[in-house]
Amino acid sequence: MITWFDENGLLLGLALLDGLAYAALVFMVSVGLNLVFGVLRVLNVAHGSFYAIGAYAAASLGGMAGLPVWASLPVLLLAAVLVGLVLGPVIERILLRRIYAEEPVIQLLVTFALFMILEDAQKLVWGVQPVSNDVAVRWLGTVDVPFAGDVIPFTKYQLFLLPGVALATLVGLAWFLRRTLTGRVIVAVTVDREAATAMGIDAKKVFLLTFTAGAVLAALGGALASPTTSLVPGIGAQTIVLSFAVIATAGLGQIEGAALTALLIGLGRSVAVYFAPELEVVVPYIIMVAVLLVRPQGLFGAAEARRV
Amino acid sequence: MLDLEGVSVAIAGAPVLRGVTLHVPAGGRVALIGRNGAGKTTSLRTLMGLLAPSAGRVLIGGEDAARLPAHHRARLGIGYAPEDRRLFGGFSVRENMVLPAEVLGLTGAEIRRRLDLVFGLLPELVTLAPRRAGGLSGGQGKMVALGRALMVGVRAVMLDEPFQGLAPALALRYAEALKRLRDALPELAILITESNPELLRPLVEATFVIERGEIA
Ligand SMILES: Nc1ncnc2c1ncn2[C@@H]1O[C@H](COP(=O)(O)OP(=O)(O)OP(=O)(O)O)[C@@H](O)[C@H]1O
Ligand SMILES: [Mg+2]
Repeated sequence: MITWFDENGLLLGLALLDGLAYAALVFMVSVGLNLVFGVLRVLNVAHGSFYAIGAYAAASLGGMAGLPVWASLPVLLLAAVLVGLVLGPVIERILLRRIYAEEPVIQLLVTFALFMILEDAQKLVWGVQPVSNDVAVRWLGTVDVPFAGDVIPFTKYQLFLLPGVALATLVGLAWFLRRTLTGRVIVAVTVDREAATAMGIDAKKVFLLTFTAGAVLAALGGALASPTTSLVPGIGAQTIVLSFAVIATAGLGQIEGAALTALLIGLGRSVAVYFAPELEVVVPYIIMVAVLLVRPQGLFGAAEARRV
Repeated sequence: MLDLEGVSVAIAGAPVLRGVTLHVPAGGRVALIGRNGAGKTTSLRTLMGLLAPSAGRVLIGGEDAARLPAHHRARLGIGYAPEDRRLFGGFSVRENMVLPAEVLGLTGAEIRRRLDLVFGLLPELVTLAPRRAGGLSGGQGKMVALGRALMVGVRAVMLDEPFQGLAPALALRYAEALKRLRDALPELAILITESNPELLRPLVEATFVIERGEIA
């Protein structure tokens, strides 16, 4: 029996606060993957590379010598946006565009190959030694959270900034997709590419735009994660596998579904960190398998078959 | 206005259309009649640029459409109401209708003018307008698909089996709407597909019959 006042309760509280920050990062990456898959129908393995490169670019630019401390955070965000805005369009134009008509297996292989190439490029630029830069976290400082008569210092970065950015992204995206013409056009292509084309929509333009937005979101996820961890080769792979788990669990559909699922998986993982550390890595997949056994279409996926 | 000249189309390697020639003059009302699987939908999708012919020419407004991207049909004033409606279920009926006009970049005033025109021709759409398209019956959906096609289809509309599955009362109303269309927009070309040749006879001036991918 766990209560808020015993040690387990304390741990649970800590785990939930930790999990919130982690869920925010998971959301940033998986919502982009979800969007890209919905519109392009290509499962982009290289989405994880955008995360990794965004993280490395943010860490090196945000930690440049001579940069004022307060500038680290904006530079970090800017670095991610730049990474997405450059890599997204270039890769969509050069590579993705050629494989839209291919079988899903071919598409998967091609984006996997791209992932391997980007992983090597990233090692070439940033090496294999851990890279870290937590200037932004230290600049924001900590806040004391009272727990069972104790106070635990939490970084404001993980307590407020990460969940805040994720929430703003969620609300902003939902508003954009529902209330703007470009958003409705993206939704129309997601629902029925051929009907959208007959309505005068240039699907190719929508692919480019969506892929770029997805790349920016992934890079932002990486950049936001960078001050909280040290970066090593392999973070891209870890991220993409976790994001697959999130979109498989959520099912294709509204971004709110991706958000709730990211929360579920983020909290699940960090509760495991505190209570059953040996399970940390597998908890997201245990959740995924449990959900898919009961609801094969995912938590929020439409029950009826979709026209692809 | 809409022409197929000796068009052949293969889907997934199997030939579906074989040298189809069909002509819809400007302002003409033409029926394309054929049994299930004869190639009616394939003919319309080819005219819409959604399928590429392996032989022959597609002409839109007399111009070779080989290099015309599919999505430019709307800009040329061609509307399309697909057989299975293909409405965007999460949008309202009104949003469905307005979307192609907004994509074209029409002004708000022009969009309202066209909406009023379509509501005048299809009064049942007025009450449906705020409803979610995903919640409509099949027959209501057909009406909405026609309305949506008319929002951009100022020169021609293609209606794929609009009467299929309509209850008799609704079919009657749909046929009346088509007659109103003819009177109100005499310059609009209409290409309608149907499996029953009798049904369209009073509505059209010319009929093509398609059998197993060939014009009979
Ligand atoms: N996507 C597809 N894949 C394989 N074959 C197809 C496809 N679409 C159409 N066909 C085939 O092409 C032929 C013509 O189909 P089409 O849909 O044009 O016929 P239709 O006249 O519209 O029939 P219906 O009255 O049933 O709507 C059929 O034999 C059909 O099986
Ligand atoms: Mg058909």
